[in-house]
Amino acid sequence: MTLQILLAISAVLFAFGLAAVLSRSNAIMVLIGIELMLGAANLNFIAFWRFSENPSDLAGILFAIFSIAVAAAEAAVGLAIIILVHRRIKSVEVDDASSLKG
Amino acid sequence: MKFLGDWFVVLPAAVLLLAAGASVVMRNLIHAALCLTLSFIALGIVFIALGAEFVGLVQLLVYVGAVAMVIVFAILLTRPDRLEKSRTPFSGFGPAGGAAAGLVALVVLLGFIFSSPLAKKPLPAPASAPAAAIGEALMADHVVALIAIGVLLTAALIGAAVIAMEDKA
Repeated sequence: MTLQILLAISAVLFAFGLAAVLSRSNAIMVLIGIELMLGAANLNFIAFWRFSENPSDLAGILFAIFSIAVAAAEAAVGLAIIILVHRRIKSVEVDDASSLKG
Repeated sequence: MKFLGDWFVVLPAAVLLLAAGASVVMRNLIHAALCLTLSFIALGIVFIALGAEFVGLVQLLVYVGAVAMVIVFAILLTRPDRLEKSRTPFSGFGPAGGAAAGLVALVVLLGFIFSSPLAKKPLPAPASAPAAAIGEALMADHVVALIAIGVLLTAALIGAAVIAMEDKA
């Protein structure tokens, strides 16, 4: 188990999240992709912490904890916005929220 | 990595990637959310296998217990009113575009990973991050960040509740 393998796993997870954000039309699927990308970043933090020469320096762990907390807050706000938009335009497709379109 | 050795990391990592891939391509939204939950669980097990047990448990509590639930609730609250027939689940660039973008990102990232000297590290002795040490670090060195995240979570969740409240017409 090398650091490169762990980072490669995280890169694949990030690529999945990116593909979901760019290609899915449901706003909740976009949010799922964003959560996958955040999970990949957390895996990076923990991988670098595991392979650091000074594991008693908990910066990687703490960064991952804060990242999880921020991701939870962002998921809550994002889904509240999706629910509100659904109440107005009766749709959660990203293509339908186009009233500001030029 | 104790216990099963490398398999303790590799098996959940494989489940993680499979579940994440499945969640991205699923047409049924609830199935996608359940695959996402499975990938979160696998990611938590990977964290525990890497020695960061506290982060793994926080991941299981927060992501599986809160974020996945909120996602499922949002899916259930935004069901289409009428029977949606053949609304394609892909938009914008379509599946090929999304896959191409993901592939480009993956190639760039893998190029950096396998050529960077930072990533060529040997495996050190098993590390441990006891919760007491994490708590001390949070309350002593990083107390400002801790309080800031508390304020952020309060504001975000109050805001989310206000946003999603019914209009009292």
